[in-house]
Amino acid sequence: MILTQTTAIFVDAYRELNAKKLFWLTMVLTVVFAASLAMIGIDKEGVRFLWFHLGFIPINSDIIEPKAFYLASFSYLGIGIWLTWIATILAIISTAGIIPELVTGGTIESVLARPISRARLFLTKYLSGLLFVALQVSVFSVLSMLIIWNRSGYLEPRILLAIPIVVSFFSFLFCICAFIGLITRSTMTAMLLTLLFWAFLFILNIGDGILVQFHESTNIYVEQRTQRVELARTNTVKLLNRDRENQGLSIEDYQPTEEEIHTKNPLLTRLETSLEKDQADLKSLDMWTKAIFTAKTFFPKTGETIELLNRKLIDPEAFTPVEENEPSVATDPFSDIEIDQDELGQRVEARFRERSVLWILGTSFIFEFFVLGLSTLIFTRRDF
Amino acid sequence: MSAVIDIQGVEKTYKRRIKALRGVDMTVGDGEIFGLLGPNGAGKSTLVKIMMTVISPSKCSGTVLGSKVGDKATLQQIGYLPEHHRFPPYLTGRQVLEHFGALSGIQRKQRKAKASELLELVGMDSWHKDKLGSYSKGMRQRVGLAQALMNDPKLVVLDEPTDGVDPSGRRDIRNILTHLKNEGRTVFLNSHLLSELEMVCDRVAIMVHGLVRTQGTIDELTAEQSGFVITTASPITDAMKSEISTPSMPDLIQSSSDTTISFKTSEASAVQPAIDTLRKHNIVIQSAGFKRPSLEDLFMQVVDTNNGAKPGAISGAKATSRPSNNPTKGGANS
Repeated sequence: MILTQTTAIFVDAYRELNAKKLFWLTMVLTVVFAASLAMIGIDKEGVRFLWFHLGFIPINSDIIEPKAFYLASFSYLGIGIWLTWIATILAIISTAGIIPELVTGGTIESVLARPISRARLFLTKYLSGLLFVALQVSVFSVLSMLIIWNRSGYLEPRILLAIPIVVSFFSFLFCICAFIGLITRSTMTAMLLTLLFWAFLFILNIGDGILVQFHESTNIYVEQRTQRVELARTNTVKLLNRDRENQGLSIEDYQPTEEEIHTKNPLLTRLETSLEKDQADLKSLDMWTKAIFTAKTFFPKTGETIELLNRKLIDPEAFTPVEENEPSVATDPFSDIEIDQDELGQRVEARFRERSVLWILGTSFIFEFFVLGLSTLIFTRRDF
Repeated sequence: MSAVIDIQGVEKTYKRRIKALRGVDMTVGDGEIFGLLGPNGAGKSTLVKIMMTVISPSKCSGTVLGSKVGDKATLQQIGYLPEHHRFPPYLTGRQVLEHFGALSGIQRKQRKAKASELLELVGMDSWHKDKLGSYSKGMRQRVGLAQALMNDPKLVVLDEPTDGVDPSGRRDIRNILTHLKNEGRTVFLNSHLLSELEMVCDRVAIMVHGLVRTQGTIDELTAEQSGFVITTASPITDAMKSEISTPSMPDLIQSSSDTTISFKTSEASAVQPAIDTLRKHNIVIQSAGFKRPSLEDLFMQVVDTNNGAKPGAISGAKATSRPSNNPTKGGANS
């Protein structure tokens, strides 16, 4: 009986979405977007769209392996832009009405008067919304996998990881949509407040990204200034030793005092002051990054969830030509510090990759289960 | 006759202050058509929704089909047509039946066969492929009635089933109800249309201000008010009434009009002395005959009697008779 009832709810959800035409519209757009990815290619001459070379994109198959290029196209364009932005907005518009329409007077009585528990009814309805996204992502991922196989000769089943990842990402938003829909019984309110909640998460994520970037760049400043202070101090000590030798004094057991060092090299004081200021900034940024990290712990991590796919699919080494970088110790300790943007990018990336899958998904699912639990409790106790 | 619905002391208070039900006792026997009457706001729909688990009672004891009120599994044996239902407009008539049949746990093959059978029963077989959005209110009501029968229920609960249905459709629904009764099903009807109920119901209950004021068969309920009525052209004075009320005469029934006098008898011979007395005073007799009040008369009387009292002031009136008892004696405070 459970299977019959569950199937009936899913079939009804499909019919409801089908009646709104949005299901098929989104599906057609999904196929079109997947097909457009098939039109992009890479060879020794560069990136190609159909038969045309896109000369303004400065990469070719010598710089990046074709397989990595196609995987990146899938991950950054297909998932990053299509599925997590455009298709998600369409999905929210399509599914926002599922719960409000269930709890509308005149509808709910007929459904509640059936031998199905309220909790199961609510959760099955909720799952029917996720099924909408699961179908879209499955079609897109399978098509993309076949396209990449055809274009690069590699069958990459890890692409199918997009299905659970994108469905999880959508579920973090849809639980809020269902909760608001249940409370307000209004599709429009549920839709708008969900989009607002998503915007809030986006801003939180941007804030986190900016702070981590500031933190890492300040860290680089502190590291380089520390090296420079040490270099300046070593050079000054050498000068003091040479002065003593010139005066015929022994330098054995000679330890110049701080006062002697700073008298000999007044610029060292300025350097140390800058270092102290950077260290103070770093301490402050450390506090703020920890604060925003803690705040994010309580909310779903939509951005990081999608980023998990990149972690699994994209090998950063496939993009960057391997170079042995010289240690960045300045020969002139008083010259301006220049931050290597590649290094900064890698450090920021590393900071984000340090965040465990358990933290990203675990805390997000805790949030989802909490909201769903609260919604289910309200649904099971409410008089309709 | 065993009880299909046997509930006692059902109370429902909304937001801790609005008392919708104040201790409803009700018994519905197996295989009967039971009508629930009451003015707007009496608590009828609240009571129905409690039985159908749509709302939870503040206090309730008793059983529906032998199980505790609120038991979800029992709903498999109950068919329900809610008032002001809104079935999905994107579904066809057949899909509505199959969808709700599936929610009741009926397997696909049985659903298809049952849907065909019921669409024919409610006269919607030629419309089964059309979407509900294109149906008239009466057609939606017919489909609604059919979906309530999809699970082959032992108890059918219908909230305003003839709402928006034209006279011929109402007759069809009455026939279906009789058909259901003949199949041995119990039908619980909640309706404003007293004439409809009078035609089909075996027993009725009248609710006012969250309490069942009276319940029983229509004959039982109206027996108290039935009698031989003499209508005159001019007023009958109290002196004339005193003269008429002799120990040998049947009891007088209180009348609101001073040009009618009613006796608790169905025999014309028993009231001849009263006619003689009136004629002696040159009172013109306009009509004389046995009269049994309609359900509407009874309803109005119960409602009028109870509308005077504040809802909360009614006490000791909630209990009414069981099917085997005399309904009018326990019957409320009328």
